[in-house]
Amino acid sequence: MTDFCWAGVGAIATRLLADFGAEVIRIEDRERVCMTRRVPLYKGAGLRPHTVEDIDPDVNRSGVFNNYNRNKLGIALDMRSARGRELAERLIARSDVLTENFAPGVMERWGLTNERVREINPAIIYARMSGFGHSGPHATYKSYGPVVQAVSGLSHISGLPGREPSGWGLSYMDNQAAYYNSVALLAALLARRRHGVATDVDVSAVEAGVELIGPLLMDVAVNGRSTRGADFPIGNRCAAPAVAPHGVYPCAGTDRWIAIVAFDDDEWAALCRGLGDPPWAQRPEFATISARVAHQDELDAALAAVTCSHDRHELMHRLQALGVRAAAVQDARDVNEHDPQMAHRQVFFELDHPVIGEARFEGVPFTADAFAPDHWRSAPLLGEDGRHVARAVLELDEDEIDELAAEGVL
Amino acid sequence: MSPADAADQRHPAAAAPEPSTAPYSGLRVVELATGVAGEMTGLQAVHFGAEVTKVEPPEGVPSRHHGPFVDDIADPERSLGYWYYNGGKRSVVADLATADGRRRLAELLADADAFIVTLRPAELAAVGLDLDAVAAAHPRLIIVSITPFGLTGPWADYLACDLVTMAASGLLITSGYDDHAIPPIAPGGGQTEHLAASFAQTALLLALHQREVTGAGTVIDVSSQEASGVTVELANPYWFYVNGIVQRQTCRHASPVPSEPSIFRCADGRWVFLALVLADGRLWAGLVTLLERYGYADDLGTAEYAGLAHRQQRIGHIVDRIEQCFGSLAATTVYHEGQALGIPIGVLNAPEDLYADEHLRERDYFVATDQPGFGTVERPAAAYRFSHLHVVPPGPSPRLGEHDQAV
Repeated sequence: MTDFCWAGVGAIATRLLADFGAEVIRIEDRERVCMTRRVPLYKGAGLRPHTVEDIDPDVNRSGVFNNYNRNKLGIALDMRSARGRELAERLIARSDVLTENFAPGVMERWGLTNERVREINPAIIYARMSGFGHSGPHATYKSYGPVVQAVSGLSHISGLPGREPSGWGLSYMDNQAAYYNSVALLAALLARRRHGVATDVDVSAVEAGVELIGPLLMDVAVNGRSTRGADFPIGNRCAAPAVAPHGVYPCAGTDRWIAIVAFDDDEWAALCRGLGDPPWAQRPEFATISARVAHQDELDAALAAVTCSHDRHELMHRLQALGVRAAAVQDARDVNEHDPQMAHRQVFFELDHPVIGEARFEGVPFTADAFAPDHWRSAPLLGEDGRHVARAVLELDEDEIDELAAEGVL
Repeated sequence: MSPADAADQRHPAAAAPEPSTAPYSGLRVVELATGVAGEMTGLQAVHFGAEVTKVEPPEGVPSRHHGPFVDDIADPERSLGYWYYNGGKRSVVADLATADGRRRLAELLADADAFIVTLRPAELAAVGLDLDAVAAAHPRLIIVSITPFGLTGPWADYLACDLVTMAASGLLITSGYDDHAIPPIAPGGGQTEHLAASFAQTALLLALHQREVTGAGTVIDVSSQEASGVTVELANPYWFYVNGIVQRQTCRHASPVPSEPSIFRCADGRWVFLALVLADGRLWAGLVTLLERYGYADDLGTAEYAGLAHRQQRIGHIVDRIEQCFGSLAATTVYHEGQALGIPIGVLNAPEDLYADEHLRERDYFVATDQPGFGTVERPAAAYRFSHLHVVPPGPSPRLGEHDQAV
């Protein structure tokens, strides 16, 4: 794969293919260093906001870049030079896949239009990942995760009624759009294998985001539902199905919480048992699902008064043993260090890095009997594999490689 | 070349690709799904050209009973959630509590390329389904299991739903309000189910590739907790590298150190998202131009503010100017004029705004589906666009047991 992807979406999308054995050759620019190389998240250093960049960052130390670019080869190529562009075309000619997630127009500036790329390599999959897609009046709009979440409706639908949206505490759509792009790449490669057809791919993150709120859109279209009233959004509660309790309740400790849901009367009865059958639970306003939904404010207050003295994990296990949907609200420390399920599944793993040293990675959230990821290296240093790729893939001789390196092309 | 010309050149008027070019054309998928994760996985298989058959209990799958319902009338044929996630599938009733029902399922599996199944280990045992035995009996079959915590491990039989999975995964704690007396608030739309579906599709595609080479199927085991647990963005690396725990903030990135507000209320009551990355020179220049255009820039255009340190010092003043300016304008004005100035800014659209969005319209994003007995419904299409591959547009969802006789 010739991989021009950078930042979050693109890097995460191609990481999946690298994990499963694709030779992903990530092309970088020494002048315009990938923004994740500049995020000042350095092992053992102090806490800093991710948005405040170093004036002169160590481009090989960022944990965010390491996390997104394991198992890839890395070369630095000067695409402003004719020689650099020529080398890129030679790579493309020898690749199965070409990927990019720049602003529209960047690949064109380098001459890599869809038509030219297909001339160079008629069998290639050319995948273009963007915020808004490569056509339409907003095609040139700039975006990253939170902007996509705003425009696609994902932020508006999240929060408590009668106040500002709480939205997302992360770039969800940098990840989810990346997953859509991994799927699109694998589907295009499968079609090429099965049907002998090579295709270009255009995935818009905004469109992926809109696809992720489908039932709400259908409710608006079919029932004329308004999502701008005083009763929307509904926080942690659930309207489809309309059930209660369905919420997040305080536990012992600072900012400690448990999520508890009872979908039916059996689960409600089990929940009451788990809480020691408090007398209020027998009140008629909590006797049926519709009654509990109608009296949710009182129900939530009564539950919170009980849960607040419990340890969140102890209560989770007690309730689960009785058949209640409940989970401690865990943070990254819980999930990485204390969660026996995540430990059993071994989703996190460690790899050594020449500058950073040993570091942890988030792996692939599935297993298969017949195949497994091959985690063979951490992220490449900037330009680390230039000579290897020039020799092994481009088949250049050593003199030519020295010359290109001296000219700063490679 | 202008961007518009470039866009035209990228989309030459070509004949629509033949249905036979769809990635999954000719493949049969059986779906035994109790929730959205499995149904979304099956829906994407429909988009990719597979024939997807749902196996439903006599009363119908849960999504038929969850709604929202047409005209708010609860009825298994009126659930919009069911319509959305099951467009273009076939429905067969099989009561797995009976020998007849199990035989029905076995007949379907004998002909299938993939089997999407969302039962936990205890539920599988209760209906006599042993996935390893099914795999042994059908060596080419790809079994895609999707469960809250995976098929193995101490929590394998724990119960969950979107909210509970989100809590356990580490995703929920990152989202909510600056005020931590308010509990974390789950982002909406059932996203942990969608995350599990994305990885289920990925795994299915990898298995199909491998089957093309080896001829053999496999058993895939997707954990929803893990799918969300690897999707917490900075929360994991902050823990991996500096043992930092991110703290939730209102509608912006959770962070171990607080950051400035990122949503601004406009004159029409709608909101826009703008992360104030002061080091971004282009963003700053665009912002000052926008504030000057409406007379709110005050001293922000002076030379002093060219330096990052001064901007950081005066952050309160800058936020105040933005609030005043945006508060005097319509949200769409701020959005489109901001974007025209190169600012990565977004309007917080509501679902009802999306159907009218000129960009989505121009790209023919919404498709009209004829739901028999109910008329035409507009809905999102698949977000994948391939120049040379067919993508199947969503069709109507099936009536309960509509295809009992056909299979």
